[in-house]
Formats: sequence, structure tokens, C-alpha cells
Amino acid sequence: MFNKTKTTLLALVALLSMTTSFAMGHQNHSADHKSTGVVIHDPWVRSAPPNAPALGAFMQVHNNTNQDIKLISAHTSGYKDIQLHRTVDDNGMMRMVQQKFMPIPTNGKLHLKPGSWHIMLINPVKVPREGEIVMINLQFDNGTSQTVSFKVRKGKMMMKHHAH
Amino acid sequence: MSNMYKSIIGVVVVLITTLVFMGGPDKDYKDLKRQLKSSLITYDPDKELISFSLIDHDNNKFNNNRLKDKWTLLMFIYTHCPDVCPTELLNMSLLRSTLSNDKSKVVPEVVSITFDPVRDTPKVLKTYTAYFDKSFIGVSGDQNQIDKLVKTFGAYYERVIKNEKGQDVILQAGESLPEGAIEEGYIINHTAQIYLVSPNGQIFAEFPAPHNISNMADDINLIIENY
Repeated sequence: MFNKTKTTLLALVALLSMTTSFAMGHQNHSADHKSTGVVIHDPWVRSAPPNAPALGAFMQVHNNTNQDIKLISAHTSGYKDIQLHRTVDDNGMMRMVQQKFMPIPTNGKLHLKPGSWHIMLINPVKVPREGEIVMINLQFDNGTSQTVSFKVRKGKMMMKHHAH
Repeated sequence: MSNMYKSIIGVVVVLITTLVFMGGPDKDYKDLKRQLKSSLITYDPDKELISFSLIDHDNNKFNNNRLKDKWTLLMFIYTHCPDVCPTELLNMSLLRSTLSNDKSKVVPEVVSITFDPVRDTPKVLKTYTAYFDKSFIGVSGDQNQIDKLVKTFGAYYERVIKNEKGQDVILQAGESLPEGAIEEGYIINHTAQIYLVSPNGQIFAEFPAPHNISNMADDINLIIENY
């Protein structure tokens, strides 16, 4: 005979142990940084010539909060300036439009990638090489910020379909 | 009529007939156009490429003769570009690798002409383009010459500087840079077509962005085989 209370308790214990083991098993991947629901995936800087005056930094921003948020600024050292940009294909004209912010909808994500949204690193003191790390502090309009390690690596082939 | 005259007329007739049957620039490439996946044939026999004289990254003259007797993939770039230009240079490097894998295929030379010679001197271009592929040729020179070439190819660019209030101001080609603009820095908005120049030194086709390497390689092979 099934005892309802026992079943419920059993279910709760099972759920609890699942959650606990999940939390324990879920190690921070080197590229993931949790901070009050805003998760950065795959942060990278595209490697560039040793005299490159500008570099692009890319990443995926996952907004796991229940609010729309905005990335409002980025800070780093070793560069004259760091700005938020978006490449827009305006009927064959490639425009690089500086952005005051980058919007990430609630429970959504924003993909910074070549040909699209990106962080522009201007006038490096020394162009970082493949494998090196660039630390960038990201500030969001929900009052949170996080410092993320962007790894320098070679860019990939441009995607077949256009960036949205 | 003397025998000598007859021989001369005979030779001339043979020559003309041969030239006509060789086809060459009078073909309209209808079949070829149908097969192309990512390019447009823009060759116009009535529109010869203008005469130009620029400088390459080794400080050698780069003029129309440098485009003859080989196929060339030509593009316009600027080194202060963080996104589009590095992507295109990487793409061209990958394209050359793809084409080089088949020893029977022609690998065009890749030439990058700067929109921005005031900052992109031959020395700057040498370091910059060599990073993507040691065979790449960077070209700088007189801004007016470059602007004429940009127009001829159907490309376009504009500089975006900031005024005292920090607002964007667009400068067209030919408009002079205000004092302090180079120190302040500026972005260039530009078209990103890549052009294929024939061994006659004439614009033959163009590849609009975004560039798919595999399709570009196929089109280049087809074009060269049918030229």
C-alpha cells in the first residue's frame, strides 16, 4: 500500500539529492563566470597582427535573470580605449556603429561575434598573442559587474549565414 | 597580284580567323554566369581599368602592370578595422589554402589596397598583411589615386570622426581630415566586395560579402577554366 506522505517525502528527498549532486557535479567551466544570473560563455579576443591598432573581443552573454539587462560598459588596462560596437551590413556598406549599451533580454542571450556585436579594444600598448589572456571588466545596468578572462585565439571562418 | 602579296593576305586572313575563334574578351559568358554561386561577372570590354600608380609594402611601384599576366583577388582594407577587414584577410588566407590543395588549380595573388594611406604606410601594411599570409601584398600611396581606384571598382568608403561635442561627423572621400583627427582616431565605414582581376589587368568579377570560402573557390576555378 502506498503511503502518500512517505511518497511525497521520498520524492522530495530524491529531488533534493538530485539538485545537490547536480550542484556539486556542475563545476565552473573555465569559460563560465556566474554572477547573479548573468553568465558569460566562451569569451575570446581574436588574435591580430603585432601592429594591429584595434582588436575585437567576443563572447556569449546569457541573461538568466527575470529582467532585461544591458551591458553598459567594459573596462580593461593596456589599451587607449575600449568601446562597445556593432558591425551592421547596410546593403553592402559595412558600418561600425558605436553602442551605448548592448541589450540582453530576460532569459535570453546575446552573441558577440565577428560581423556583429563586439567589444573594440583600441590602440593596445602591446598586442596580446595567441594563448594570452585579456582581463575585461563588464558592467551591467542591473548593478552587477564581473571581470572575465578573454583568451586570445585565431578567428574561425566567417559563418555562411549572416549575423542577426 | 604578286606571290608575296598573296602570302601576306593569306597570313592576315588566318590571323584574323584565329583571333575571332579564340573568343577572348568578346565572349558574353552566359553559361558561366549561370553556374556561379557567389560572384558576379562585372567585366565590361568598353570600360578599361584606369591607369594608376601606387606603392606596395616593399616600397616598389604598384601599377597596372602588376595586375597583368596573373589572376588577382583585390580588396580594399584599413588596418584600424577591428572586425570586417581581419575577417576578410583571414578568409582570403583560408581561400588560398583551399585553392593550393589542388596542384592543378591557379591560385590568384591577393592584393589589399588601403582606404587609409595616411595611417597605413607601406611599412605598416607589410607587418599587417604578412600576419595573415606571407604572400599577401599590401598597397598604399597617394590618397587621390586610391580614391579614383575605389570609385572605378565600385567600392565606397567614408571616415567617421568626432566633433567637439563628441558627435559623429561623416567625411566623404576627398574631404580633408581636420587637425587632431589622427590622434583622436577614426573609423572607416566601407564596402567589402572582393574583386577578381584577369591576367589582362581588367576587373572581371566581384564577390559580395559575406564570403563563403568553398563557394568562392568553386567560382574562381570555374571562371579561370572558362576564361
